[in-house]
Amino acid sequence: MAYVTVRRRELTFAERLYLPSILKGMAHTLKHFVGAGGRAGVTMQYPEEKWQLPSFYRGVPSLVKDADGRGKCVACSLCEYVCPPRAISIVPKSIEGVVEKAPEVFDIDMLRCIFCGYCEEVCPEEAIFMSKEYEICGETREELVFHKERLYEIGATLGADAGVPDAERKWAKLAREQGEQGVTGG
Amino acid sequence: MADVKLTIDGREVEVPRGTTVIQAARKLGTDVPHYCWHPGLKVAGNCRICLVEVEGMPTVQISCNLEVREGMVVHTESAKAKQARRDVMELLLINHPLDCPICDQAGECKLQEYSFEFGSDGSRFQFPKVHKPKHVRFSEKVTFDAERCILCTRCVRFLDEVAGRDELDIVNRGDRNEIAVARGAELTSPYQMNIVDICPVGALTSTDFRFKSRVWFLKQTRTVCPSCSRGCNVTAGARWNRLLRLVPAENQAVNRWWMCDDGRLAIGHVGADDRLGAPLVRKDGALVETTWDEALRAAADGLRAAGANLLALVSARLTNEELFLARRILDALGTPHRDVKPRAWERDELLRTGDGNPNAEGARILGIAPRAGGRGLAAWGGSAIGAAFLCGEDLDDRPELLDALAKASFVLVLDSRETATVKRVATVVLPGVTSFEKDGSFTNVDGRVQRLLPVVSAPGDARPDWRVLGELGALLGCGAAPRSADEALRALAAAEPAFAGLSLGRLGALGREAAREAAR
Repeated sequence: MAYVTVRRRELTFAERLYLPSILKGMAHTLKHFVGAGGRAGVTMQYPEEKWQLPSFYRGVPSLVKDADGRGKCVACSLCEYVCPPRAISIVPKSIEGVVEKAPEVFDIDMLRCIFCGYCEEVCPEEAIFMSKEYEICGETREELVFHKERLYEIGATLGADAGVPDAERKWAKLAREQGEQGVTGG
Repeated sequence: MADVKLTIDGREVEVPRGTTVIQAARKLGTDVPHYCWHPGLKVAGNCRICLVEVEGMPTVQISCNLEVREGMVVHTESAKAKQARRDVMELLLINHPLDCPICDQAGECKLQEYSFEFGSDGSRFQFPKVHKPKHVRFSEKVTFDAERCILCTRCVRFLDEVAGRDELDIVNRGDRNEIAVARGAELTSPYQMNIVDICPVGALTSTDFRFKSRVWFLKQTRTVCPSCSRGCNVTAGARWNRLLRLVPAENQAVNRWWMCDDGRLAIGHVGADDRLGAPLVRKDGALVETTWDEALRAAADGLRAAGANLLALVSARLTNEELFLARRILDALGTPHRDVKPRAWERDELLRTGDGNPNAEGARILGIAPRAGGRGLAAWGGSAIGAAFLCGEDLDDRPELLDALAKASFVLVLDSRETATVKRVATVVLPGVTSFEKDGSFTNVDGRVQRLLPVVSAPGDARPDWRVLGELGALLGCGAAPRSADEALRALAAAEPAFAGLSLGRLGALGREAAREAAR
């Protein structure tokens, strides 16, 4: 096998002296310290300061409500099916009204969630979104299973912030059309 | 009838005269898309999705209602046929609500399947959809959604042709057409839930299974309905180790494509709250949990002490293997007092046999009946009972016998539930399992031996009855306990000519006829 001999560069006298490099480094630090007006400008003061997260950031999956304040999830269970680490578990229930079905139980085990965003991608009702929430802590495993109420709480925040589009308003449209055609469910 | 030779997609097939093209194609393994056509119902020809191109015919033809002719050349996958089916799909979906996320049929819906296969990805329809009633209760068991309905009339035809009742009909005209309970009628057929199965879309759904689980999560296992001696083949769907639904599985020799509602809905006992999960022995009047070893030893001691005086009631709800192992024990004890508890069930012309014991025929072949000088169940009330073995059976419905049993010195109960019998009279309780939790076989009313497969696992420490009876037999010196239900069936096959040559594997999906003549 061919090989190349790499010669180590001879150090100059100044380099061998070691101190000049130290002083150079100190000068650099001093320059930044003075430049920031004596404050530690490089360090972000978390948790008083928060990250400006990019739009594509994937935090805790959350459930959202539509403009009428109705939870959008219809418990189709596609997210449960697609979820690679099986973090989601849903138990559907029958409800009264234009929409027939909603989740009785909607749990996301945040110890399992890998923030892949498949749930958001697969959702046919645009009911689940990856929020920007990343502060996930708890003292027990149970605490880190996020239930429906908590997920809606996080989602509502997201809905207000990001203005989750509900241009179609499909259930409102359905109710209107049913009314016009004199049809009622059930 | 003379055979006719025709060509379908370049392959020749010979079928009897009178066969339709869709059937001939199925013989070749080609499944022409269809909604309204069902092999068990008359041809309606109204959904138009089964269009095929036939050489020499100017237009595409519906293959379900087109009889084969000699030399016919059919193309099911030609551009013309495919385009025609695409167009039919578009028409069917014009007013479809597309509420798959809510619809229970999703996952086993023909509309979804064909849309996926050859449907369009959008709708050209620009007007408001026609809306129809949703979640209408046709009956306690069936929920109807008119918007999802494609008016294939399978349900109407099933009730008319198979169940013999004109309970559903089509009402209104044009795009207001919908299925409804016929005027002056009620949907009361004991077979009505079959219309849920044959509905190719989500228009008819089971009220019982409604929103319980998406079907793609179900672990589906083929087994046998334990509600009557017909032994309808079923596909059991389970999730979270809970049995959620039964649907019929096709077996032309038994139940064709159907099953009765009572059998279908009789699954509550599997997940009941009173299931036994540990062996129990009575100490100072109260039942206390114990280990299997201790319970089996207590059971064996009690049986040995009773000997030929033991009264045995063996359930015909047990499998052939278990009946055989139970008989082995009774033979070893030498008791002539053995009987089966009769169990009443509805009876009709279609499927229900009137005998609620699923393995009544197996018990008959194996001779579970009083021997010479034996006391049958009818004579249990006659005089005092010393010791009894209730093998897979309870006497909750016979309080006078429970009174007699309460005075007995030893009552062994093998059962899956903590019945009143267990609570009141049992001395030793061995927790068995239901037919949905074990391997084995039933012999149906026509002598067909059919295989059971476990669908869910039993609660706690309950054990399959064949295992319990095998181990109990071993303690009583009947020979080694079988290590599997299959081993028990092989032992049965060797001992009983009616079952000669059978093993669980040889039963296959459709079961096999027992050689009943040999038993007579």
